[in-house]
Amino acid sequence: MNDIPRKTSVTLEDLLRVKRAEQPPAEFWGRFEQGLRAKQLAAIVEPRPWWAPFIRISARLSRYQLPVGATAVLAITLFTLREYQPASQSPVFEPEPARVTLAPSAPVETPTGEFDAINVPTPSSANRVAAVQPVAAPAAVDPRKAQAVPAAATAVGAVSHVAMINSEYTSARYMADNLAAAQPSDPNLDQMLGLSLRNSDASVIPSEPLAQINVPGESRLYRLLGGAAHQASVGTSDSALRLNAQTARHLSERRLSESDVISRLAVEGDRLTVRF
Amino acid sequence: MDTVKTLGKTLVASPERQLEADFDLTIVRRVQEGDVAAFDQLVLKYRGRVYAVVYNMTSNREDASDLTQDAFIKSFQSINRFQGQSSFFTWLYRIAVNSTLTHLRKNRLRTFFSFEKINEDDKVSSEVIAALTDDTSADHETFARELQEKLNEAMQKLSIRHRTVITLFEIDGLGHQEIAEIMNCSVGTVRSRLHYAKQLLQAELQTYIRR
Repeated sequence: MNDIPRKTSVTLEDLLRVKRAEQPPAEFWGRFEQGLRAKQLAAIVEPRPWWAPFIRISARLSRYQLPVGATAVLAITLFTLREYQPASQSPVFEPEPARVTLAPSAPVETPTGEFDAINVPTPSSANRVAAVQPVAAPAAVDPRKAQAVPAAATAVGAVSHVAMINSEYTSARYMADNLAAAQPSDPNLDQMLGLSLRNSDASVIPSEPLAQINVPGESRLYRLLGGAAHQASVGTSDSALRLNAQTARHLSERRLSESDVISRLAVEGDRLTVRF
Repeated sequence: MDTVKTLGKTLVASPERQLEADFDLTIVRRVQEGDVAAFDQLVLKYRGRVYAVVYNMTSNREDASDLTQDAFIKSFQSINRFQGQSSFFTWLYRIAVNSTLTHLRKNRLRTFFSFEKINEDDKVSSEVIAALTDDTSADHETFARELQEKLNEAMQKLSIRHRTVITLFEIDGLGHQEIAEIMNCSVGTVRSRLHYAKQLLQAELQTYIRR
């Protein structure tokens, strides 16, 4: 003890050095080694739980949580908007009133053979047919009998055109006036509406879904005939334009008065939606 | 981010520590490639220091032994996930400290202390005990035992985090940056905790401090 140099001051750090000097004896490490070996073997032999890999994977993926989550939210949002938009816009684009034009000589272009027999009715022929059989034609055409439609459609379509000319409903007149006013400022309007409607109708007619639907009433029949008339319309002469506006007026009038029927059928892009 | 961390570590770590870390990394790579026996080198190298840290945190030699073994087992099991972004030494210390903190939180109410003997070959501790014994008429060994108990009492009055910081800094001799990496906190937090812990220990051990 006398060999130890005298220390005059003792600081906190010196006292903590005493703690550092607390060390286990040499034999302690032998036991420590044995215990470590036993635990090491137990750890190797012990089967890992089945969910251990998932924890490891989730720990690795935790850094990607934010970008993956943000991408998923964005994708869902875009997908939802894409699916929602056509349904919301379908009532805005009313196809029939804007595109009905009559061409004297153009035949109907349909993939199926059912409508090949439909010839485009000229105004004069329409008048003639209207004079010959004004009332019997609508009753003769049954939507379920698809084979009977072509011949009757020509006649009844002409009758409806004549009735459209005499239509005096205010709402139909407004629509026709608006359409006529918009055409000079935008010459492509008619073509644009015609293209969109032609595209929408192209998929409807070949599959002929309306013929398989059991819907009573004349309004449905008139819509069918109106669609056939749209297919027949190609020309852009003055008389045709005038008839176009009158037809639009007539159909708009019927659409307004029979809104419950119209709302059950909707043409959206390349799809036909029927609500029961 | 990893580059910044590595750069910060490189700037702070001394060349000796860097060499040591590189050497440890070569051993770790060997273990990762299947040389399991190479892990024994790491155990022999660090078992004393890890045990000292855990022992000074728990003040119980049995618990310290178990926790040190567990730390090595955990590091062995997870060594394939070690990518070398920090030194193996820091990584092993982090495992040991976290295990000890969990153990202390679970056994907060259990206070059973068992002390190691003070190594008489340690020059500084012998000088301190000699200086303090001269002021009293107590026996050297008796006084050393009493001093151990007082030091332990003072350490136990610290919170677990403050005790960890003072153990790593004053007893194990680690730097602020290394302690911050081990405890996963900022250097400022380490400094703050260290200052507070020293103040408390000064107050508790006032009778043993000679100016």
